[in-house]
Amino acid sequence: MKWANIRLFIINFWCNVTTLKTFYLLYSIFILLTAFATVGGIKNHITQNNIRQEHQIKARQSWEANPDKHPHRMAHFGTFAFRISPSLGIFDYGLESFTGNMVFLEAHRQNSVNFSEATFSTGMLRFGELNLALLLQLVVPLILFFIGFSSIAADRENGTLKILLSQGATWKEILFGKSIGLFAISMLFFIPILLIVIIALMVFGDQTINDFRWLRLLIIGLGCLTFLFIVSSLTIVVSTNSSTSKNALLRLLGIWLLLVVLLPKSAQAMGNYWFPTPSKLAFQSTIEKEAIQKGDSHNPNDPHYNALRDSVLKVHNVSKVTDLPFNYSGFVMREGEKITSTLYKKHHSKLVNIYKSQNDVTRFSSFVNPFTAIKQLSMTMAGTDFSSYIDFQNKADDYRYQLAQTMNELQMEYISPKKESGSEGKTHVVGHEHWKEFQDFKHKPMAFSNSIKEAFPALISMLLWTIGAFGLLLFTSKRAKAI
Amino acid sequence: MILYKLFLQQCIRSKEVWISLLLITLLGVIGIIIGNKHLERQQEAIAEVKTYQEQHFDRQVSLHNENLGLLLYYAKFAYINNLNPLSGLSIGQADVNPTVKRITIKTFEGQKYDTDLVNPMNLQSGNLDLSFVIIYLFPLLVIVLTFNLLSEETETGTWRLVVIQAKSKLGFIIPKLLIRLMLLYVVLIFLFFIAKLILNLSLNFQFFWMLGLSMLYVLFWFTLTFFIISFKKSSGFNALLLLSVWLVLIVFIPAGINSYISSKYPVPEALNTAIAQRDGYHVKWDTDKLATVKKFYKHYPQFKKYGYPTDGFWLWYYAMQQMGDDDSKKERDALNEKIKLREQISKQIASVIPNMHLQLVFNQLAGTGMSQQMDYLEATDVFHEKLRLFFYPKIFEGKHADTIDWNQFTPEYYKAQIALQPLQGLATLIIASVVMLLISIPMMRRL
Repeated sequence: MKWANIRLFIINFWCNVTTLKTFYLLYSIFILLTAFATVGGIKNHITQNNIRQEHQIKARQSWEANPDKHPHRMAHFGTFAFRISPSLGIFDYGLESFTGNMVFLEAHRQNSVNFSEATFSTGMLRFGELNLALLLQLVVPLILFFIGFSSIAADRENGTLKILLSQGATWKEILFGKSIGLFAISMLFFIPILLIVIIALMVFGDQTINDFRWLRLLIIGLGCLTFLFIVSSLTIVVSTNSSTSKNALLRLLGIWLLLVVLLPKSAQAMGNYWFPTPSKLAFQSTIEKEAIQKGDSHNPNDPHYNALRDSVLKVHNVSKVTDLPFNYSGFVMREGEKITSTLYKKHHSKLVNIYKSQNDVTRFSSFVNPFTAIKQLSMTMAGTDFSSYIDFQNKADDYRYQLAQTMNELQMEYISPKKESGSEGKTHVVGHEHWKEFQDFKHKPMAFSNSIKEAFPALISMLLWTIGAFGLLLFTSKRAKAI
Repeated sequence: MILYKLFLQQCIRSKEVWISLLLITLLGVIGIIIGNKHLERQQEAIAEVKTYQEQHFDRQVSLHNENLGLLLYYAKFAYINNLNPLSGLSIGQADVNPTVKRITIKTFEGQKYDTDLVNPMNLQSGNLDLSFVIIYLFPLLVIVLTFNLLSEETETGTWRLVVIQAKSKLGFIIPKLLIRLMLLYVVLIFLFFIAKLILNLSLNFQFFWMLGLSMLYVLFWFTLTFFIISFKKSSGFNALLLLSVWLVLIVFIPAGINSYISSKYPVPEALNTAIAQRDGYHVKWDTDKLATVKKFYKHYPQFKKYGYPTDGFWLWYYAMQQMGDDDSKKERDALNEKIKLREQISKQIASVIPNMHLQLVFNQLAGTGMSQQMDYLEATDVFHEKLRLFFYPKIFEGKHADTIDWNQFTPEYYKAQIALQPLQGLATLIIASVVMLLISIPMMRRL
């Protein structure tokens, strides 16, 4: 295998493609689509984040505007957590449209994250959304198929292949040369998108957040590069193995349909079928039941709370809760919050594990489907994937817990022990300066190390696919026939 | 007749045709099974709610018999959007939006948009239901069956023989196309028959409407391929062009439109409403009690007789809760308007694109469309109001919980209304097919 020969094939391939008029037509359409997707992506990203940030501030203002009141009222006044879309969401929407944007945080209750784009959309949304990642991961492969399908099959049909081989070129040189040539063409599509994303990140990305965005982009970029190489070599291999160029094209399109439409959809459907999600009622009532077993703060004769009360009374050497140095009702609520939160956490992580099992069918299908591999990789790195969403949910719930417990502690400290229950009125109150002291929720993106962990199977499968692509080229070079 | 028989034999002689027909039938059946699973899961959820609700009230009554106000703070009443069996064919928005709602008589806005437990990955990938098979995959099959209908004859050299022997060239092509169309219709009818058996569908208007629309949709794709093959280009060219058309119509245009709608019409009103209802209620804890109760009586003059008690708690409490809804009315109306606007725009755009149009009409017929979800939410609001009006006087009078017959509160059901103008549903597909035929007429002469 001589590099000089390979280079010849690369240059030849490049020239052949770039002299075609249809190529420029295709290219201009692609650039137009890219422009459309860029404008849409940036606009959507900015409007959505602005809306959410404005509302985060608005919600905060009304929190801080509260007068002196009983802390438990504040625990129920609650606040909202808004999910901020990561700056790489400009590139890859991922699950953005299907995950909720806002959750109400209050004491005792874990509310659902509401108002996803999908809840306000018609069934049309399932056709997909145009974004840069979709262009790079679905459309560019298709274009590469169209450009490369005849590269070897046509040479065979018109007899050029025989001449090439008889003049001393080897199969290896031809296959590698053409694959790299096609890969070089794909750079014409890849580089503009990469530049756009870099500029968009510099101009529109929130520079105050340290989310490792450049490292993330680097990984996405490298992933896309390997992906495009895999697609290029796959195209050349199929073209080599097909008797006519028509067959090659049909096969490639068949592969595209299978890998892009059918396989991902059936993988997720299988996951959903095998690991059914419990109903909301079943989920909630299990927690409710277990919480009652642990201790029911509403029940005056509950053994758990009675034992608690007796031990507290004993420690402080008093006979009535009203003689304690702190507000006992706040203490009980703190205990109750701890019990229900722990239970909720336990069951919620069980639920998330069910979701994960559902998604694992898709995640691991990336070992047979490079399209899924790159999609998983770019979604995870962009921070628009499932795990980033769950990370938001967990962070919001941790904040909720902090909020509830801080209010309970304020109650224990500042509300008179004589006030046994109830939270209305102007007498037993805490100064409003405490509301400001409690920091607002700020959505921080998922840690980079967690993203890497999440993307690990996709990374490995990309690596295997690269090795596989080389192997396939070598294997084909041994088996290929000139006629 | 012999001609048709020969054409049929010619068509089904090919292995590829058999394989693709079998494949699509298989996928169709899988789609039906998935739809059925979705319905089964809803039925399971309903059964759970039924048994739970009884115990739930028993427990609440035993805990808070003397305190009806507190009881109703906890008590949840189920209101169920009972899915039409047809939604097994087109799951639509029934996976994003909860179909079993359990609500308290507190502020409605705070509960209205609560979501079910859903995995966003499942939502994004969408359901592999029969509507998907029909909308995405049947056109591909049409392409596979017809792309080389003419070019094959030219490429194998038989076209000249045909031209000499046949009375008319069109009379040769049309039967060939019709045979293939009939084959696909057989598959379609077979799938709908299977669906009827598995999903226990009644053979009503909506069922035949769906079947008819599917048939029209397949016909549209036939007219489209007819137009393209009548250019008499090579098989490879035809295949390429047809698949590009498929891609543009089914993947790119809808994707572009979705991006357009979501960036052009964002929904900040939803967040406004959420904050407004929270503040509407909670701020009342700190404002004048009397003013709140007065506002409440303005809404419900019939309760004025309960006066302005200074010691009672629950009248004031539920008046405050009521304010969560009343004070967020402006934001709520804006939200509803925005959602309606979005739906209207979607519908308008979809009405010129057959596949998107078909998806929306399918959802409409199955009762799983966006507007039907809004209707369900409105009906839930009515249900909520009914509960309020029932319980408010009892709470204000300080009645004990055991004076109420709780058995009457079994889950209530909502049935989606199907408001569809027959012509509206058909027009797009018929017009699209006719347009395709019209523009192919000049081509036919040159065959």
